[in-house]
Amino acid sequence: MARRAIVFAALVAALLAAVVCSLAFGAVKVPISEVIDIIFGNGGSPTDVQIVETLRLPRTVEAMLVGAALGVAGAILQGALGNPLASPDVIGVTGGAGFGAILIIILLPGSIALLPLTALAFGLLAAALVFAFAWTGRNRGSVGKVVLAGIAMLSLFTAGTTGLLAAFPERAPSAIFFIAGGLTSSGWRDLETVWPYFLAGFLVVLFLIRPLDRLALGDDVAASLGSRPQAIRLGAGIAAALLAAASAAIAGLLGFLGLVVPHVVRMAGGTSSHTYVVPASAIGGAALLAGADTLARTLRAPIEMPVGPFMVILGVPLFLWLLRKAV
Amino acid sequence: MRNKLAPLLAAALVFAALALPAVANAAPQPPKRVVALTPFAANTLAKLGVTPVAIGQTLGGAERFSPKLKNVTELPLSHPNGPNLEQLASLNPDLVFSSQTWAKGNQAMDELGIDVVVHDPRSVAGAFADTFKIGTIMGRKHYARDLLQQQRKEVEAAEQGIEKRPKVMLILGVGRTPFTFLPNSWGGDIVTRAGGKLLTGGVTSNSGFERISDEVVVAENPDIIIAVPHANEDDIPSLTEYLRSNPAWSSTKAAQSGRVYISVDNSLLQAGTDIARTIRKVRRAYLKN
Repeated sequence: MARRAIVFAALVAALLAAVVCSLAFGAVKVPISEVIDIIFGNGGSPTDVQIVETLRLPRTVEAMLVGAALGVAGAILQGALGNPLASPDVIGVTGGAGFGAILIIILLPGSIALLPLTALAFGLLAAALVFAFAWTGRNRGSVGKVVLAGIAMLSLFTAGTTGLLAAFPERAPSAIFFIAGGLTSSGWRDLETVWPYFLAGFLVVLFLIRPLDRLALGDDVAASLGSRPQAIRLGAGIAAALLAAASAAIAGLLGFLGLVVPHVVRMAGGTSSHTYVVPASAIGGAALLAGADTLARTLRAPIEMPVGPFMVILGVPLFLWLLRKAV
Repeated sequence: MRNKLAPLLAAALVFAALALPAVANAAPQPPKRVVALTPFAANTLAKLGVTPVAIGQTLGGAERFSPKLKNVTELPLSHPNGPNLEQLASLNPDLVFSSQTWAKGNQAMDELGIDVVVHDPRSVAGAFADTFKIGTIMGRKHYARDLLQQQRKEVEAAEQGIEKRPKVMLILGVGRTPFTFLPNSWGGDIVTRAGGKLLTGGVTSNSGFERISDEVVVAENPDIIIAVPHANEDDIPSLTEYLRSNPAWSSTKAAQSGRVYISVDNSLLQAGTDIARTIRKVRRAYLKN
């Protein structure tokens, strides 16, 4: 219990540090005292107010929300499928969202305002197809069937994305940031579009935490305790699809986070209980993405780089260290 | 002495008379069957009076070709090779004018025994230099020199009388993360010659493009934003509105004064031979200087 409390405290401290850095640092130097004044509504120069209020604050909130959503999506999928390699990729969401976004960027650039919604819609469509195939025919709802249907759907949509990029190579640069994953300074615009999907996803997760713990005991034991393993898996899949598709609509393809963060918090806390793993993954994911995004936009400022590689740089050493200790 | 030298001189004259045509024959002949994969090379060849056997055309591309190339075979280009190598080989070209974009294809062409040269300039000075090089390769140095003289004169005239030098942000692509043209890109050089001061945030890059922070855009506050989005004419109103309402840019002078423009042709993206016309268009339509 003490170990979990320490891990929680460390994660909260990391998140606070990441948020402060995200608000304080950027391509344009704004004194920290002025950032604090602006955040608390005590004014500042008009340019600095716009930089902090319109660019940094929404971006920081997006980083926290997307990081938390991907961390939670990975945690519940790994729990529901009993597979340590499960992540939003496995249920096809990432592939579908990527295809939807590239479709707009490459073929319908005039409709670029619809990019977040299209990414969201295709992400959910891919997940729906995975569930439809996995929950029909023999062995419906089995882990193997879900994973195989997910891999097939991921391959299908990835092939479509690659085909579009190969056919229109001169348009590919516009797609690089979406594929590599990265937050943008689009104010509150994207969040205004997709927040209901985040809310729905998190609400479903709240009701799944205890059933997931029962499922961890095995399908038969869970059934004997009154749970319905297939319904839990379907619910987890739907929640993960909502969270991951909404995340992709805002920040592009960030598959790594959902895979690694739940493992890190599990190993650090020494338990797989979802009452601990789910909130810890949310805080850890938020801290990792907010920190990595700050690095991506400040390390070579004013050049902005995709956030994906920075998440890997920050997350992998910790992951490998914990893995070594665990084994 | 004279008697001894006479046979030697005669022998030398006979040798020279026999050897000279052989030497002349050994001099490289200009290639006859030429393929131009870039609009710059294709149009330069047309201006030099050379008709290539084929020209490259990207899928959905808006390349502007000389009317003289109207009936020339078009080779569809796709990533990463450029042209289909079987289709290209069937044309039996002596030489292919290519681009760095098709680097992988260039290597494959080379392995097939097809000579490849890359001429895809990223500046007006580079275009002048490459025009002369293409003329030299094609054995039309004289025509190239005349063409260059004419182009230089036209460009100088297009750059005359600049009254205002507005701050311009020139961006490539659509999406939420467009890239900014830098001075060492074709579009960057054209806008600079047209009298614009490029917004770059002090960034340099070999590629000529870089994604710069929106914080810099807010701080530097451009007078004009020009986007080159690979889109169609019909998309201009929606794209203009999208860019104008971008929360990061909506407070800039460009957005406030309605000076956000969309350029849907490739004139700012790829080197062309109608350089002066492009500079005049940028001044008239966008910079208004």
